[in-house]
Amino acid sequence: MVSVPPVLLIALPLLFAFFAPLVNMWSRKAVKVYTLLVLILNATLSYLLFANVMQNGVVYEQLSGFYPPIGILLAVGPIGAILALLINTLSTIVYLTYFGEAENSVKFSMLYMLVTASSTGIVITGDLFNMFVFFEITAVGSYGLVASMRTKESFEGAFKYIVLGSIGSAFILLGIATIYGYLKTLNFYDIALRIDTMPPTARLMSFIFLIIGIGVEAEIFPLNGWVPDAYQGASNRVASFFSLGPSKAGIYAIARLIFTLLPILSGWQLALLLGVFTLIIGELAALMQEDPKRMLAYSSIGQMGLILIALSLHSETALIAAIFLMVGHALAKSLLFLGVRDYARGTLRNPLIAAPMFIGILSIIGMPPFPGFWGKWYLMKDLASQGAWLIMLVIILTAIVESVYYARFLHRGTGGEKRKLSRSETAAIIILASLLILVGIFPNYLYDPAVRAAASLLGGGP
Amino acid sequence: MVDLIALGEQILLLAGMVTLGFAIGMFFNGFARKVTARIHNRIGPPIYQGYIDVFKLFAKKTNISHGWIFDLAALFSVAGITLAFLFLPVAGFTLLSTEGDIFLILYLLAIPALGFALGAGASGNPNAAVGIMRALILMLAYELPLVMVVVAMMIHYNTTSLATLVQMQSGMHWAIFVPVFFIGAIIVDMALQGMLMEKPFDIAIAPHEIASGPMVEFGGKHLGALMLYKMMAIVVETTLFVDLFLGGGVVLSVSQYGWIAYVVNFLVWFALITLVFFLALLINAVFPRFRIEQALKFYWKYDALAALLILIWVFAGVSI
Amino acid sequence: MILEAFGVMLLAVIVVLALDRYPRIAAAVAIIASLLPLFALTSWAGIMGISLPSFLAPLEFESSLVYNLGPGTLNLAITPLGWFFLLLLATSFPLALLFASSFVRNRAGGFYAGMLLTMLGSFGVLLARDALTFFLFWEIMSWSILAMVLRGGDRRAIVSYLSFGSLSAMLLLFGFMMLYFKTGTFLFGDMHLDTSLTTLVALSMIVAGLAVKGALMPLHVWAPHVYSRSEEPFVAFLSGGLSKLGYFGMLLFMYGIAGLSLLSSWGTFRDVSYFGYALAVIGAFTAFAGTVLAVMQDDLRKLLAYSSVGQLGYIAIGIGIGTPLALTGALFQALNHTFFKAVLFLAAGAVYYRTGKWKISELGGLGYRMPFTFLAALFAIFALAAIPITSGFAAKWLLYEAAIEKKFLFVTPIMLIAGVGAFLYAYKILYGVFLGEPRYDVKEAPISQLVAMWLLVLPLVIFLIFPGWVADLAAPILSEYGMQPIPHTPYVITTNLAAYNTLAVIFALMGALLVSLILYKWKPQEVVPHEDNYLAGEPPELYEYISMHAASNYYEPFEDVFGPVFRRGAERAWEIILAAAEFLGNGARRLYTGLTQDYSIYILLFFLILVGWWLLW
Repeated sequence: MVSVPPVLLIALPLLFAFFAPLVNMWSRKAVKVYTLLVLILNATLSYLLFANVMQNGVVYEQLSGFYPPIGILLAVGPIGAILALLINTLSTIVYLTYFGEAENSVKFSMLYMLVTASSTGIVITGDLFNMFVFFEITAVGSYGLVASMRTKESFEGAFKYIVLGSIGSAFILLGIATIYGYLKTLNFYDIALRIDTMPPTARLMSFIFLIIGIGVEAEIFPLNGWVPDAYQGASNRVASFFSLGPSKAGIYAIARLIFTLLPILSGWQLALLLGVFTLIIGELAALMQEDPKRMLAYSSIGQMGLILIALSLHSETALIAAIFLMVGHALAKSLLFLGVRDYARGTLRNPLIAAPMFIGILSIIGMPPFPGFWGKWYLMKDLASQGAWLIMLVIILTAIVESVYYARFLHRGTGGEKRKLSRSETAAIIILASLLILVGIFPNYLYDPAVRAAASLLGGGP
Repeated sequence: MVDLIALGEQILLLAGMVTLGFAIGMFFNGFARKVTARIHNRIGPPIYQGYIDVFKLFAKKTNISHGWIFDLAALFSVAGITLAFLFLPVAGFTLLSTEGDIFLILYLLAIPALGFALGAGASGNPNAAVGIMRALILMLAYELPLVMVVVAMMIHYNTTSLATLVQMQSGMHWAIFVPVFFIGAIIVDMALQGMLMEKPFDIAIAPHEIASGPMVEFGGKHLGALMLYKMMAIVVETTLFVDLFLGGGVVLSVSQYGWIAYVVNFLVWFALITLVFFLALLINAVFPRFRIEQALKFYWKYDALAALLILIWVFAGVSI
Repeated sequence: MILEAFGVMLLAVIVVLALDRYPRIAAAVAIIASLLPLFALTSWAGIMGISLPSFLAPLEFESSLVYNLGPGTLNLAITPLGWFFLLLLATSFPLALLFASSFVRNRAGGFYAGMLLTMLGSFGVLLARDALTFFLFWEIMSWSILAMVLRGGDRRAIVSYLSFGSLSAMLLLFGFMMLYFKTGTFLFGDMHLDTSLTTLVALSMIVAGLAVKGALMPLHVWAPHVYSRSEEPFVAFLSGGLSKLGYFGMLLFMYGIAGLSLLSSWGTFRDVSYFGYALAVIGAFTAFAGTVLAVMQDDLRKLLAYSSVGQLGYIAIGIGIGTPLALTGALFQALNHTFFKAVLFLAAGAVYYRTGKWKISELGGLGYRMPFTFLAALFAIFALAAIPITSGFAAKWLLYEAAIEKKFLFVTPIMLIAGVGAFLYAYKILYGVFLGEPRYDVKEAPISQLVAMWLLVLPLVIFLIFPGWVADLAAPILSEYGMQPIPHTPYVITTNLAAYNTLAVIFALMGALLVSLILYKWKPQEVVPHEDNYLAGEPPELYEYISMHAASNYYEPFEDVFGPVFRRGAERAWEIILAAAEFLGNGARRLYTGLTQDYSIYILLFFLILVGWWLLW
């Protein structure tokens, strides 16, 4: 197996993104192909990295000549490798849909590569400041992506995203400053090692700052005001990309925060509480939503809450559940966002669209044998073994609410006139649906990495 | 060979009892018309009018049918009511009643009713359909108090077999002498009024309103078959009452008195079913008729409420 | 071979989807694939003590299988209970497909794919030996039904099915998890339940979750909508086959896993556990209310749907009473219901296929036009109404006997009166659809539809003659629960209270029919055209604008009395719950005001709350 330096995953797309205008000068048509090639390359690299991590354990790489704790460190653990693979593969698939579009904007392609790279960066970094930088790049790129539709709604969504995103960044920076002020280091392991030397108040304050800052990106209630508008305003492709890339990176950052960085009891409790609230509010808000894209956005919020609950339980089973939920949600939600149109009527008249979308919905509401089911089953199993009946009840009730609004969605989809998607979009959703089926029927291919990831996270590693 | 002879005897007995049953049914027809006429201060037809009518109808040369489903009515109604008769203990003869029980009889009684309804519906006459509708709702109405009392009795006596029930009542331990089942007998008698479709529950076959309802399209041998069914039904339903509450008319034990017991029991049974039928006729002669929803409310409100009391009594009395 | 069977069925799903444009080939592929469960059934006949000739069991299926999926293990094994229910499903399924081969024209690939998936799921459910496997296949079955419902495209059907399906799934999940909490295992064989409250709650939840699929009131709301808005061959299988899985599950969990002694440990009343007593009372209520509602329907499919609800209630009564007699009765009723309700739904489908009408008041007079369909439906209706010339009676009789034996004073009259109510709607179907004035000049149903219906009628005749055979099938199931089989011979079933001899009934009926036939054939008759009778020879053309078919509002007096009490009672309750949820939903939605300053304030408030929380800590 070729051992791939993880930095390539970030560096290559960043580099190629800046060459894109040059390609554009040479031939406008070549940009899409060029971007796709870059994304495929990145996906291949991420697969190699994934295989490497699965074989040899955590891969470290220090940059800029200094050794840790001073230098910048990339640390790819199993969960990072899984998410890097997920993000890069899926963003490639989602980018495919751009080929069906008459529009050809080099800026879009650039931003797309940029956000892919930075999201990947978040999941493979081993350094807090690095993470912050990647968050910034992701956020800035995302603003641009949302606005790329150039409609009133998209500008509105982008604006809200900018305002809230900036507030979030400020909080992250505050958190980093607090930690740096006390420990004079930003390396995750260094922090984790010496966290006990920090005064409890400072520790808690930095935790609060960080969770608020990251929470904005991870779509946690009540920090997620931008979500419905941004998802509604963004094009389908971008909404789909958001639900597989930046949001997963955000939730990963929270996982690192509560596991590696600041593993404190009250932090887990807070995260659990936040997860429960996010779940309830997201699902309830989706119940009465008429606009299908907004509905999916609220549903995403609910799913994020579920993942957060799974992460904050701090046990192996729950972590496996979280990974299944993340993968399931990334696949299913990006599929749904690709397939949905401004109004749902007629979306499901076409069997080629209906079947994949149906599978996506089944995975989200936790029907077997799709990844969402395995996630929910494991989460419930863990909650049951702890006897956490109240949280189980919440999950169950919200699942019923979820199925009610998806039922409405399905009904609207079956009525009306038959609708068509472009060939590339159809291909993309079929690929995503096949992935859902594969992961569902052969869950052991995800289960083994998930077990490693859980062990690694619980052991304080990446 | 011995078996075959016993079987032959059995079949002869059954056939004889069925013939006798039909004969009594035809007699009841004339009897009813005579009694009603006397109450109305008319002379009325002769008491053997039932025999005349049936033979006349079966002797008719023109018989009008409306297709094979229509014909099923005649077949099923006569066959079904015969079947129900065979599974009743009659006058100390168990017939086939050890091979089934009260529930079987209740459901066997539905065969002629549904068969009849099938033919009436097939005739296409709206009057027939309306009549059937009323008859079915009436059936639902009177069955509730009936089954409530029957269930109470079955649980009280811990059997569902009528043959066993009759046996348990032998030696004049008739159920009607138990105070609570005396009330039960009154309730079931009211249900019987509906079963027999006598006034005030005869709206299903109201002659002036819907031209005799279900029977409107029947003539000749078809009507003859239906009349046979109606007549036999009187015998079956009154016998059911007698079996339930009056010990099936068994007063003498066969083992003690030999063949005299058969004769006496038969006569007592005949006297009892005539009495029960006579009571129904008296009510019939003086009452106007209920509308169907009134009948439904009557049975489900008053009759069933009384039956509920019996259920509660049995509920409290049953050894736990 | 079990895994291969699953694989082949999945492959068949893909193939039929690809054959969307060729409905007949797709049907052929689906029917061939549907034979797999049938062969599995014959291959496993040994466990019921039945030896079949080898040509009937061409494939060898292993009797148990453990397959590691990674996150969980599939434990599959055949049990007598599973075999009995597989018998119901595997026999009715190919016939429903056969019917569909001429019935389904539109998007046929999706239809057969969905049907095969429901069967695949059911097959797994029947073999499941642990909670994960059970739940996994249960939900596959459940969502494949959803896929079939989506084809109908009716809003109420989709929303009610998915929400109730989800409710059922979540109740099951919660129940399984509670059992896991108590016992630390998902394996049915290792679950040693104790008498704690947790176990009771878990079992109640599981039974409630299963009752949704079994359409027990008040969890039946989805059933009429789904049954009346999907394609008939599918509904025939849904009502006939799939709804039985709920009762399969109840038997499995109440008697197979928990056991009678555990149920009794929470209190008994006259030797019947409170748990079972409650189920029996709910079942009786369902039987009665379902029947009353069925009488009031004008849509043929809705009528049959409510009738299903009512008839399934009887099974619940039997399971609730829980004596060998009652369980045999419940199994018998499940078997009967599978076949007669499938026939009735298929007959309704055949009528629709020829006339394009569902409303009873718009049909009429088809008995002479479609005689074979009529006769099949007549047989099924006799079975439904428990007339003792089909096997329908034996099942009800067993249940009545069981109820009387255990002194169910209030349940028994309700069961009996529901049985009488069944006559009412049975006659409504007969008269409204098949009798009366002929209104359509149509042909008999296609041969494939007739064959399917008549093959489904066959068991009703067989088990009329041999009701003891069902008791034979029930014996190994009962012995697994530590119960004695009921005393029986092939023709006679005996209880403490009475006996039922089918031979006596059959021979007496034949004799009586023979006599009345002779009496009847004595004189010749002439057949007069239908229209000539009550119109006194006037040509009916003159009266074309008057319908002489008195089938609309047929039971009006009945509806006047019962309508106000029963109509939409349960649906109202669910609508109120839904309205409450929508109120909450609107509240949550209003949190997202769409104003950036509000969102910024949320963040600030959140920060302040956290800081405050930390200060108070």
